[in-house]
Amino acid sequence: MISASYTLGRDRQRSTRVTAVLLLAPAFFFIVVFLLVSIFNSIQLSAFDWNGADAVKEFVGLANWGALWGDERFGLALLNNLRIVAFSIATQLPIGMALALLLYKGGGRVTLLKVVYFLPMLMSSVAIGFLFRSIFDPEFGLFAPLARALSGTSPDFLGDPKIAIYSVIFVICWQFTPFYMIYFLAGLNTLPEDVHEAAIIDGASESRYFFSFALPMMRGILYNAIVMSMVGSLKYFDLVYVMTEGGPSGSTELMATYMYKNAFTIMKMGYGSTIATAMFAIVTAASLGTLWALKRNGRGESYE
Amino acid sequence: MSDKKIVSRLLAYKILAGAFAALWLVVAGLPFYYMLISSIKQRYEILGHGVFALPMKPTLVNFASVIRGGFWHYFVNSVVVIGLSLLILVLSSAAASYVFARLRFRLNKPLFGFVVALMAIPIHVTLIPIFMLTQRMGIYDTIWALIGPYVAFNLPISVFILTGFMHEMPKEIEEAAEIDGCDKLATFTRVIFPLSIPGMATIAIYDGVNMWNEFCFAMVLTQSSANRTLPLAVWDYQGQYSSNTALIMTVLTLSALPMIIAFIFGQDKLIRGMMAGAVKG
Amino acid sequence: MKTGRMVGLALLMSAALVGLSVSCGGPAQKKKITMWHIQTQDNQKKTIDDSMARFMKDHPGYNVEVVALQNDAYKTKLKVSMGANEMPDIFISWSGGPMISYVDSGKIADITSYMNKKNYKDRFMAGGIAQATYKDKIWAVPIESVSIAMVFYNKEVFAKYGLKEPATIDELEAICATLKSKGVTPFSLANKTKWTGSMYYMYLVDRYGGPSVFADAANRKNGGSFENEVFAKAGAKIQEWVKKGYFNQGFNGLDEDSGQSRALLYSGKAAMTVMGSWLISTVKSENPDFLAKLDAFPFPAVKDGNGDPSDTVGTIGDNFYSVSASCKNPEAAFTAITYLLDDTAVKERSAQGKIPPLNSTTVSDPLLSKVLATAKAAKANQLWYDQYLSPEMGELHKDTSQELFGLTKTPAEVDKIMEEKAQATAGK
Repeated sequence: MISASYTLGRDRQRSTRVTAVLLLAPAFFFIVVFLLVSIFNSIQLSAFDWNGADAVKEFVGLANWGALWGDERFGLALLNNLRIVAFSIATQLPIGMALALLLYKGGGRVTLLKVVYFLPMLMSSVAIGFLFRSIFDPEFGLFAPLARALSGTSPDFLGDPKIAIYSVIFVICWQFTPFYMIYFLAGLNTLPEDVHEAAIIDGASESRYFFSFALPMMRGILYNAIVMSMVGSLKYFDLVYVMTEGGPSGSTELMATYMYKNAFTIMKMGYGSTIATAMFAIVTAASLGTLWALKRNGRGESYE
Repeated sequence: MSDKKIVSRLLAYKILAGAFAALWLVVAGLPFYYMLISSIKQRYEILGHGVFALPMKPTLVNFASVIRGGFWHYFVNSVVVIGLSLLILVLSSAAASYVFARLRFRLNKPLFGFVVALMAIPIHVTLIPIFMLTQRMGIYDTIWALIGPYVAFNLPISVFILTGFMHEMPKEIEEAAEIDGCDKLATFTRVIFPLSIPGMATIAIYDGVNMWNEFCFAMVLTQSSANRTLPLAVWDYQGQYSSNTALIMTVLTLSALPMIIAFIFGQDKLIRGMMAGAVKG
Repeated sequence: MKTGRMVGLALLMSAALVGLSVSCGGPAQKKKITMWHIQTQDNQKKTIDDSMARFMKDHPGYNVEVVALQNDAYKTKLKVSMGANEMPDIFISWSGGPMISYVDSGKIADITSYMNKKNYKDRFMAGGIAQATYKDKIWAVPIESVSIAMVFYNKEVFAKYGLKEPATIDELEAICATLKSKGVTPFSLANKTKWTGSMYYMYLVDRYGGPSVFADAANRKNGGSFENEVFAKAGAKIQEWVKKGYFNQGFNGLDEDSGQSRALLYSGKAAMTVMGSWLISTVKSENPDFLAKLDAFPFPAVKDGNGDPSDTVGTIGDNFYSVSASCKNPEAAFTAITYLLDDTAVKERSAQGKIPPLNSTTVSDPLLSKVLATAKAAKANQLWYDQYLSPEMGELHKDTSQELFGLTKTPAEVDKIMEEKAQATAGK
């Protein structure tokens, strides 16, 4: 009997293993062929001095890493990325949630609203870059007349190194809020109606219901949103490149724009790869660390 | 609290919510509106009279010249590439997510962590290795070259989202299937997979938007204009020192339309997908 | 079963891919030549396509694949293909530092012997050939246009306030002061683009110190240094103008390509701009009505400066076409390039408002004639710094020049940064 159930257990385990291998195979095919090759290539290149054209790459060991350690521009870029992380989580998530609540309460009557709210997500970065450059234009822009009426001059939204990063962050948040809106709306829709009724019957106000019942029940979704927002913000490239190219005075430089400039503009492919590898390490550590911390905090409710 | 007070408070909430809804309608919709009106203006109008002025003489000539300029061709390429990529992407991430969400084996968590880590890959450093790979595979300058990278680079986040969904499905469903004699594979194909279709619609829309606007791989892996996708259609209107904004906005408006239509028809599915996925056991 | 279907689909797809790559072997045994260029706009693209069609008609053994790429995308794609060692047979550069680094890396074919055959190179303006020459060999053919920077201005605004084209910086500053007092911004500038502001700086350096100051600093010759006082003087003048409000507000956040600076000019809110002569053809296609108000004068002289006021800043060719070292039929590729400047193509380029870099070039448009006369009268032409310098130094120059304009660094700080980098990268 004992040995029989032992084999049964092993059989089941083997069947699990075979199934796992079979089902993971297609995904890992793409991962191995396209992603792993690239990571290894980038780690390898980070040990070389290469202009991207010479036939021979010069091995420099850890010299690129030494240079990165002392590179103030990279430090500034990382800081800017962290600013985006902070603002993204602090604005996109709450506004996304507020919009989700609005649409949730509105039900089927607000489909048009939903579509319009989702538009920023659908627009290409080229269009967003052009339109917001025009909106921020100190002479012809949308904010300019208002600012001039109030203070006599218009703030230099994209040209002032102290302001530019916040202008860019504003646009980034504008672009990605709709994604979290849709994501949270789904979460709200899944909440069991009986909890809501019970809470209201017990005399809880709508806002108390939301904060004490709804939010805790959506923990898993919130955690996922935080991790995705963090990864996206640390890797961000598109709009910054279109709107400011990392300027003025490097004030909107991000890790990704800095990496791109090194690798493709000034032809320091080795150093560019070093930045990319560092970026990969930082983003991985941040995302896995956050996931782990949230899981612990959530006592294993979201991921066992 | 008196009834009167409650009523006035509710009214205050409603007014507040209405104001917020209206405000965000403007915030979210205005840039799109400006893109739209820029596409029905003459080129000189945008610079001479500003982006925000109403069009003096609305015209559809921009649309005519964009469509004559090979837009359909790019459009068809985009539809083929994104359709195939999405199909492969959604199926392979559903299979992988099932493994991570529902199967117990020793390597489960490390492997899932590994896939999550892959979300962190910066795409620009991958351009040279993937370009070389594409050359070696003999598919450089074909639309097929885009499918591999599109699937691979969207896989990690799709698996991340979909695993989250599948994780929340009640255990009883699976147990019932096993009692009926399904092995793990059959449980996936016959039970979990169909239940995840709405969840897959979710990642399909999310990844679809990403791929539809994807520019980097499209630029590096194709060459002749016959094999280009929509995001490269704006090139014809960007010169070395100046660009034709009216035509660019026309191209971008036209490229956004199919996505909007897909969203209008897909958003119902999207929401329900997230609903089904996020159901607490 | 669904997974089965999936595997089937994958197989089908790979079969399709194999079939496709086989069928790409193509018709007949024509030799293929690939050309990458950046003239994306319709009529300019067509000129190149037609030139290659003429080449193929005369040389039926060859098939030229012409690929038009957008400027920024081109720069990235060229580097990717270089890194992967899969270069197109014919590609463009702007001569200068980047071309030199490609030559040093062994990526460009030496075309000196082809250029000397039947004295072909004598058709070209000497300045263009000089730009394409490195280590006494010729590496590229100047094709697109003579583009030099001049001060473009709105005639109407000048007439309204009784202003005349200035010959000296003092006169120019007097004009600026007048305009400023009338509420008109003297210069329009979109300096997110960076090379735009650099034009003012390059001219000031030339007028204060002459062309050798920069050349010596860049080439580490004759004791040249970026900390030469001429650079400091030019930087100080720029900052003085910025502080006096001679440029439009917020210039460091504005984009040149999409026209944020030209909008100021068109609306009459700004009166002048220092810009490459391609501005004429841009205005022609973008706002033809404004063409009647547009005029230009050479950058004025500085009192007691060492520079000759006839000197220009610009490029005698703009896009230079090279044959890559990996090209299997370099002579045929070179011949194909010559078709880009055959009589038909020259005529078409002139009609588009370009000035082909040939000695025989004549133009009828009065404004273009002015540009051509200025270019021909120049004793020296300075190629744009960002294209003359190595990619790393060029980028640093653009960044620091933007900082000069933004008043975030003093001229001395900028010069020190440039000099340190020049020393660190010299001889590399």
